[in-house]
Amino acid sequence: MSTTTPTPQKLRTRRPLRPAAVAKNLTALVVAAIFVFPVYWMFSSSLKPQSEILTKDPVFFFKPTFENYSTATGVDLFWSYVTNSLIVTLGAVLLALLVALAASFAIARMKFKGRKGIVLIVMMAQMAPWEVMVIAMYMIARDNDMLNSIPLLTAIYFVMVLPFTIWTLRGFIAAVPVELEEAAQIDGCTRGQAFRKVIFPLLAPGLMSTSLFGFITAWNEFAMVLVLNKDKTNQTLTFWLTQFQTAFGNDWAATMAASTLFALPVLVVFIFLQRKAVGGMTAGAVKG
Amino acid sequence: MTVDSQGTASAAPQDAPGRAAGKSQTPPPPSGAKESLRPPRGRRSLPSGLLPYLLVTPALLSMAVLLLYPLIRNVILSFQGVNKREMIRRETPWVGFENYTKLLGDPDFWSVVVRSLVVTAVNVALVMLIGTLVGMLLNRLGKKMRLVLSLALMFAWAMPIVASVTVFRWLFDEQFGVANWVMRSIGFSGYEQHNWFETGFSTLVIVTILLVWGSIPFVALNMYAALTTVGTELYEAAKMDGASGWRTFWSVVFPNLKPFFMITTFLEIIWIFKAFTQVYAMNQGGPDRSSETLPVFAYIEGMGQQHYGLAAAISILTIVMLLVAMSFYFRLILKQEDEQ
Amino acid sequence: MKRKLIAAIGVAGMMVSIAACGSDSDKAKDGDKGTAGGNKTLTVWVMDGSAPQEWIDGINKEFEASHPGVKVKVETQQWTDIQTKVTTALSENTPPDVLEIGNTQTTGYAASGGLADLTGDKDKFGYANWSEGIKPSAELEGKLYAAPWWAANRAVIYDKAAFKKAGVTPPKTRAEWIEGLKKLKAADPKSQPIYLPGQSWYVFAGFLWDEGGDLATKDGDKWKGGLGTAEAASAINFYKELQSFSSAPKDKDEATPQQSTDIVPKGGVASWIGLGWEAGGAIDAIKKAGKTADFGYFPIPGKTADKPGSVFFGGSNLAIAERSQNKDLAKEWLALATSKKGMQSYGTAVKGGIVPNDPSAQVQPEAGSFAEAMVKSASSGRITPITEGWANVETEPNPIKGYMTKVLKGEDPKKAGEEADKVIAERLNQ
Repeated sequence: MSTTTPTPQKLRTRRPLRPAAVAKNLTALVVAAIFVFPVYWMFSSSLKPQSEILTKDPVFFFKPTFENYSTATGVDLFWSYVTNSLIVTLGAVLLALLVALAASFAIARMKFKGRKGIVLIVMMAQMAPWEVMVIAMYMIARDNDMLNSIPLLTAIYFVMVLPFTIWTLRGFIAAVPVELEEAAQIDGCTRGQAFRKVIFPLLAPGLMSTSLFGFITAWNEFAMVLVLNKDKTNQTLTFWLTQFQTAFGNDWAATMAASTLFALPVLVVFIFLQRKAVGGMTAGAVKG
Repeated sequence: MTVDSQGTASAAPQDAPGRAAGKSQTPPPPSGAKESLRPPRGRRSLPSGLLPYLLVTPALLSMAVLLLYPLIRNVILSFQGVNKREMIRRETPWVGFENYTKLLGDPDFWSVVVRSLVVTAVNVALVMLIGTLVGMLLNRLGKKMRLVLSLALMFAWAMPIVASVTVFRWLFDEQFGVANWVMRSIGFSGYEQHNWFETGFSTLVIVTILLVWGSIPFVALNMYAALTTVGTELYEAAKMDGASGWRTFWSVVFPNLKPFFMITTFLEIIWIFKAFTQVYAMNQGGPDRSSETLPVFAYIEGMGQQHYGLAAAISILTIVMLLVAMSFYFRLILKQEDEQ
Repeated sequence: MKRKLIAAIGVAGMMVSIAACGSDSDKAKDGDKGTAGGNKTLTVWVMDGSAPQEWIDGINKEFEASHPGVKVKVETQQWTDIQTKVTTALSENTPPDVLEIGNTQTTGYAASGGLADLTGDKDKFGYANWSEGIKPSAELEGKLYAAPWWAANRAVIYDKAAFKKAGVTPPKTRAEWIEGLKKLKAADPKSQPIYLPGQSWYVFAGFLWDEGGDLATKDGDKWKGGLGTAEAASAINFYKELQSFSSAPKDKDEATPQQSTDIVPKGGVASWIGLGWEAGGAIDAIKKAGKTADFGYFPIPGKTADKPGSVFFGGSNLAIAERSQNKDLAKEWLALATSKKGMQSYGTAVKGGIVPNDPSAQVQPEAGSFAEAMVKSASSGRITPITEGWANVETEPNPIKGYMTKVLKGEDPKKAGEEADKVIAERLNQ
């Protein structure tokens, strides 16, 4: 904890070779390496020629090639998959934020009958076995002529991330001191205005970290697409990636290139939100 | 939480530190101070009769349509004998409890259940333990190292599951695996072509490594974030009292982060228990079906053999089991609501 | 058959298919122009790697020309989760009109009522000319549910240089085969005389048929597995002997890792058993790595020199969905695609690398090519038991594969076979 206070800087310069600090940083490096290695392996494989991917002794030095990326992006409908994935994921996350904001505000700040019941419902909804509900969902969609629909997929993902979003946002809202809200109301704001002008800005980090989580969840889903959207023009990047073994005829390099591209949006979102997201998760996570 | 009792500053997550601080008689953190300033009352300025209901309606409605309805349909399906033929013909013949009796009388099903529970328990324990340690490490690092480590964690988190499974399979491949290469390089013999997936147990060990690797970032990053909310004062106070690092953790950090641990453990149990891709893609549940967990079992019997009704029954049993296992959690969390 | 057939086209074929998909929109425009009304779209599902793009484009062009206002939409499906995809698709109001279905899976879908009965159109499809070996997979209880399309079988692919160095010539009998492998081993102890993973169950099926056994047989009105038999024991023992020359994993099939692109191009493999597209893939991969492949091919040897070893006839049929909205059009497309002319142009496109439904449509393969060796053993081609449950046996976890691994690791063939038979019977009789 010492590093967050202003003094430790001095402490450290005074005793630069404190074994504990060295051990600490060394451990951190090792842990970081362990976590990054598979990611590094994915990335480096995406730059390797196919013949150097699966080898008896791993190849660490090679002449990088971007050919695999053009193979991946050159696949028929690739950009359509990307667009669909983005629409579905962003749509779901935004919808979830909107709906969850309203619900979590009520749960965190208002007293009403049935509040506890709603908390329970939200908790149980987290446990929904989406993977195995695929067939039931399919039968409903089929019988109502709603197959091959991007809106339906968006709606499903929206409900998929909704419980977690409500749960986390509730914590964030509760974290905003009520006095602020009240002060605003004393100043003549209506409750709605108080929410917009006072609470909402304070929620920004919370909204961001929550949406990051929602993004990862929706972005990774594919089981629904398999049965719901058989028309290729309505399929997503994730789904296509799961079919890779045959899609690339065992071109592992291209597969890894596609996977790297696939991971990019999440990383970009994270690096963009880095400070706020990590800091912001605080409240939500503690509160749960 | 009955809103009145907590209609104060203590609604903030800081309330936990605040309360604990009171108990442990350390100087109250800022939020605690605020708490004493405000009377526990006074924000219900709105006629909140209908408003809260209006606010939760969209959420409840969408969950009812897209979650509850399919779930009910799933329950119905579990009482029907829908296989390939019936699915194609759109027939839904009732079979009563046949799917359930078949499952409950199948020793394979029970061994899968036991295996799933053990795998979940081991994984969640490892994830929480290592995740917490990494989170604490993050908290103690300098700015730069912290960025490095949290970026590393984030990379792991952002990696598509499908890709990570493929990479892990490569790493432990019998002929071309990096793991075998490392063992050879260190000087172990017998790793010329060591098969890491020789038995169900060894397969599950690799699966565990993957699951733990993939789950830790969430726990660690949240743990770190949660730790930053524990007032520095608490640490300082504990240190001044001469408490050891270990005791500081148990007496200061842990009580304050109890809600965090509860929620995260809850989520991890659910996520690990439901993990499918990581287990299935690793070795298709093999060898000889000995690394199948419940979701894999449901997939093989349901999607693979096209017994959709049976698969629905498996999923219902899974939910029931989860609910039973989690009921104590629900009670804890609801109790926490009351306390607030 | 869960494998693709890009006979000798391999990656190149894939590039063609990618490039050619762009032409879809052009076609749509032409169609719009050409017709005033009655626009119809015929949807055709083909499996990844089955139909060479130039061939299917040719068929569609011809079809669209003779059917103004009709557009053919070809959707290539991946093999992953194909059963779920096909089953659900067949239950929909607007299913694909024509679908490619693996020959081991057709009976199952026919029995489920998802496929249109084509018995009345036999003549249109040239039923009388179809080869006897290929017909059964498209029929059920005397009715026709699909048009057989193509089949292919395995052959042994060998490195000419390695064989020459060891003084080995292509064997004609099993005994010669083993003898040759021993010589290869002696000539180059570091190499694998043959690469054979433990779960190449189609290869095993061939040995089993050679012994006079079968994977499953009908016993009264029930099916029973055939792995606990003496025939299976001698078949698996021969497989074991072959496999002992290989350091391939005993618990994997030939696709994990892909033998053609991940194993063979790395060298150190004197011979392997594969399909035409695998040979093509290996040649391409070796070329990509800057070397040249010098492969020879021979049919899998039989027990005696007069007859090559039995081989599994993998292949596909084309069927029409029962719920199709365009059955008549679909039938016409089907008739065109599987006609003698259609099959000949298919054969030409894959350089004779397939066995067509009509033997007289066989395109003569080049001398020394894979296709030549393959066609030699086509006369001993067999398929898996014809019953609607067979698709379930093939589905992972495949009991035959489990059985093979167990025996290769030292378990008693009879015991492992009986265990597998139980699962096979359960899946066949459900």
